Amino acid sequence: MSQVQVEIQQPAPSEPLAAPTASHHRVRLPSWLTLLLRNHKAQIGLGILFVMVLLAAIAPWIANASSATNFVDLPRQPPSWSYPFGTTDQGSSVWAGVVFGARRSLATGFFAAVIATVLATSLGITAAYAGGIVDEIISLITNVAIVIPAIPLLIDVTAYLHSRSMLTMILVVGCLLWAIEARILRGQALTLRNRDFIQAAKVSGESTRRIVFGELMPNMVSRIAAAFILVFYISILVEAGLEFIGLGNTAKASWGVSLYWATVNSSVLQGEWWSFLFPGLAIGLTVLALTLVLVGIDEVSNPRLRGLPKKRRFAFRRSAA
Amino acid sequence: MTAASPATTPRPFGRREPLVELRGLSVEYLTRTGLPVRAVDGVDLEISPGEILGLAGESGCGKSTLANALMQILRPPAQISGGQILFNGDDVTAKSREELRKFRWRNVSMVFQSAMNALNPVTRVGDQFIDMMQAHERISKREALNQTGDLLELVGIDRRRVRAYPHELSGGMRQRVIIAMALALRPELVIMDEPTTALDVVVQREILQQVKQLQRELGFAVLFITHDLSLLVEIANRIAIMYAGEIVEEAPADEIHRAPRHPYTIGLMQSFPPLHGPIVRMTGIPGSPPDLAAPPEGCRFHPRCPHCRPEDSFLYARQTTERPRLRQVGEGHLVACHLVEREG
Amino acid sequence: MSAVPAELEVQGLTKHFRVGGALFERSRVHAVDDVSFVLRPGTITALVGESGSGKSTVARLLARLYTPTGGRVLFDGKDLTSLRGRRRTLDYRSQVQMTFQDPFGSLNPAKTVRHHLARPLRIHHVVPRDHIDQRVHELLDTVGLVPPETIAAKYPHELSGGQRQRVAIARALAVEPRVVVADEPISMLDVSIRIGILNLMADLKEQHNLAFLYVTHDLASARYVADTVLVMYAGQIVEQGPADKVLSSPLHPYTELLLASVPDPEAGARDEIEVRKGLAAAAVDPGERCRFVDRCPIAIDVCSRVTPPLVEARRDQSARCHVRAPSPDLREELHA
Repeated sequence: MSQVQVEIQQPAPSEPLAAPTASHHRVRLPSWLTLLLRNHKAQIGLGILFVMVLLAAIAPWIANASSATNFVDLPRQPPSWSYPFGTTDQGSSVWAGVVFGARRSLATGFFAAVIATVLATSLGITAAYAGGIVDEIISLITNVAIVIPAIPLLIDVTAYLHSRSMLTMILVVGCLLWAIEARILRGQALTLRNRDFIQAAKVSGESTRRIVFGELMPNMVSRIAAAFILVFYISILVEAGLEFIGLGNTAKASWGVSLYWATVNSSVLQGEWWSFLFPGLAIGLTVLALTLVLVGIDEVSNPRLRGLPKKRRFAFRRSAA
Repeated sequence: MTAASPATTPRPFGRREPLVELRGLSVEYLTRTGLPVRAVDGVDLEISPGEILGLAGESGCGKSTLANALMQILRPPAQISGGQILFNGDDVTAKSREELRKFRWRNVSMVFQSAMNALNPVTRVGDQFIDMMQAHERISKREALNQTGDLLELVGIDRRRVRAYPHELSGGMRQRVIIAMALALRPELVIMDEPTTALDVVVQREILQQVKQLQRELGFAVLFITHDLSLLVEIANRIAIMYAGEIVEEAPADEIHRAPRHPYTIGLMQSFPPLHGPIVRMTGIPGSPPDLAAPPEGCRFHPRCPHCRPEDSFLYARQTTERPRLRQVGEGHLVACHLVEREG
Repeated sequence: MSAVPAELEVQGLTKHFRVGGALFERSRVHAVDDVSFVLRPGTITALVGESGSGKSTVARLLARLYTPTGGRVLFDGKDLTSLRGRRRTLDYRSQVQMTFQDPFGSLNPAKTVRHHLARPLRIHHVVPRDHIDQRVHELLDTVGLVPPETIAAKYPHELSGGQRQRVAIARALAVEPRVVVADEPISMLDVSIRIGILNLMADLKEQHNLAFLYVTHDLASARYVADTVLVMYAGQIVEQGPADKVLSSPLHPYTELLLASVPDPEAGARDEIEVRKGLAAAAVDPGERCRFVDRCPIAIDVCSRVTPPLVEARRDQSARCHVRAPSPDLREELHA
């Protein structure tokens, strides 16, 4: 019964104590973040992500930059001691391609997510709080952006633009993926807006700007973080997809480009599994990791999904005495 | 911590076989930390056939949990961890699923605080009755519809409203529909959990009048759960006061009103400003109910009790270490309090 | 009582909401209609009514969370209803504050108690920056939350319901207002702590000479704490007067109905109240009539044709009723 839940979640604390309670940490992490860090799924996801980022960061020290894209040795070699992931059809090192590709792929995904989240958050929350005509206009723009099929548009735009730089990719992906999150964030901001504490802030005299950034947003942080992660992993997939069909910069190392070359050179048919397995695995693991973190955020934000220590979840013993 | 042992609490004599008997009932929740929280701790309670028993207490005292346990609708992580629930002598906890299905609604039914929690918003009222009736007995749709009309009239609603959707009815009418549903199978006990709290005061009065009238006509027993003690004094035959999972006082309604003995009851009565007489400054009760995960040692009310003072060292020692047991202090009047025990 | 100058005067306050989604929908809910009253310093005025009576709308109109459809709000004689500009709105907000019904909902779960009290102090420059902590502690002291240093660092979920409501009151007091609108401050609190909050309000009214508007549905608490009572029904004030007079010898049949319905353990066996079908309290396009006529046991012919005005039938006590408080202007109508 819902009433049963209520009785747990409202333990009335005792009277204010004469002595101060628990010691304060210097840096007080938001409680949901601490919870997230304790969540098993999030831990796995964050772990994998950490490894990926680490590899990307130390790439120059664990591989040779030029061997990612240029001919360095015998082509079509299966994994060996000197080339742990083997060599491609062009004779470049798959390993170098993966670790250097990580830099490009992760960075593109990350910044695209940043742009999309900033757009989604500012537009979504403003629409919700301002209401009226402002809301109507922003909602119109958002709905149009959602309805436009993103992938075909991305293909068209990237094909049309002659620049193949990372910046282009970031902008293109970021500016098209914000819309769905904007709508979700608007929805959440709307429910919050009518909560009494927002009205109370208004009655105190807070300005709109301060209410949006100081009162609304801090209560939406977990949702915004979720939005960021979501766009991050969609960007990685979209970007890889675009590169896969040849719309990326085929001269630079990136996971999608590696897959492109693998396809173009019919590596699959030739049984050269190493040239597409490893880049594909990199993409898959990263996306998996991000999904796990997302699920973790979900569990942490929704109190009903957590709550029970796993052992007891299905134990419903009836003891008569 | 000594639990009250079952069947040692003295019961007033000269009464018929009780309809419901709770003996040493305990209900626990398992929390995330693994420590059990006892929402109901060793409760002895009896409901006689045809009586209105009021159960009063504030948030977190366990009264709703007790009701859920009675109906066997506790959801994990809550579970009965001790004691017995006897209905007409049968142990409810030992019933099979099929027996429980019949037991619920036919022997005991429940009226909740918010009708909208119990009514399906997309189904017509009449259909909900029919569904419920057909789930419990072999009855044709026409006959069920007929009976539904009778039931609605019984609670003062035009029988043509069977075709209405819940949102088309006012709050008071919806609550009456819920009461009609609860009476559909003529149960012997109806549990009402804060049935009028969400309603306006005039509607509340109408509903209560209705309930009293129905109870006179049909003779069912009522377990009326609420935080509003002033309401209970008017409607209940007997009142039990619950605090932090325990029953602390139990007496006939007018006795609770005239001569409450337990300091918590006295404090509660002191929390309702009167409608007549001089206006004097009242005190309520300082502090707030305890965290059931770590209740106070001894008497659970002692941190808030004006009679718990270290100066009175012998009594204080008892109050802080020993849980008081329900003892008889008058005709039908039970109190669990060391002070009252000492005063005799 | 009339010798004391008014703090805040409300004249003919009206608020209509459009009903239905259609663009040219004409129906209007008359949430508040022609409400007039006066709040004086050092008094608590109870605004009593059931759900849909309009009392919460009045509270929000006073707190300027809604803009009125009609009527005026006067402060020291100056009309504030058409305030424009941030300076003047802030000025108003430093004089009129509000507390809300849900003690948990009215506090930001992500912010400490200190934040909630410091913000108004900063916005209105009540004290210089380095004095803010001190003032926060003083405010917590005033509302009985001790020790203030500990409480100030807590988050809302670490406090009990009663403590949260006290924080909300402290926040309202931070700007040193002259009027505080308290919207059902105790209805969501446990019974045993309600009196504490009511006592706090009474003490604050004395110590700081505040004017409180106590919005409630609970007559008993209104009697306990209020000096004046205003009874609202379907958007209108149907009776007003000193609390003890209105609640012991009411004029209006609705007030009588309320008094007969409130649980009263002292009363012996009571007469049953009559169940009468009536329109839902908030009136949609009510027209010219008494809004209580469908439920009224003493209605006469004119009640369905003419809206009764608020008339002072006894000293200081007014009611909106053709029978109990007949208007001299309508003498011919009434004797028709």
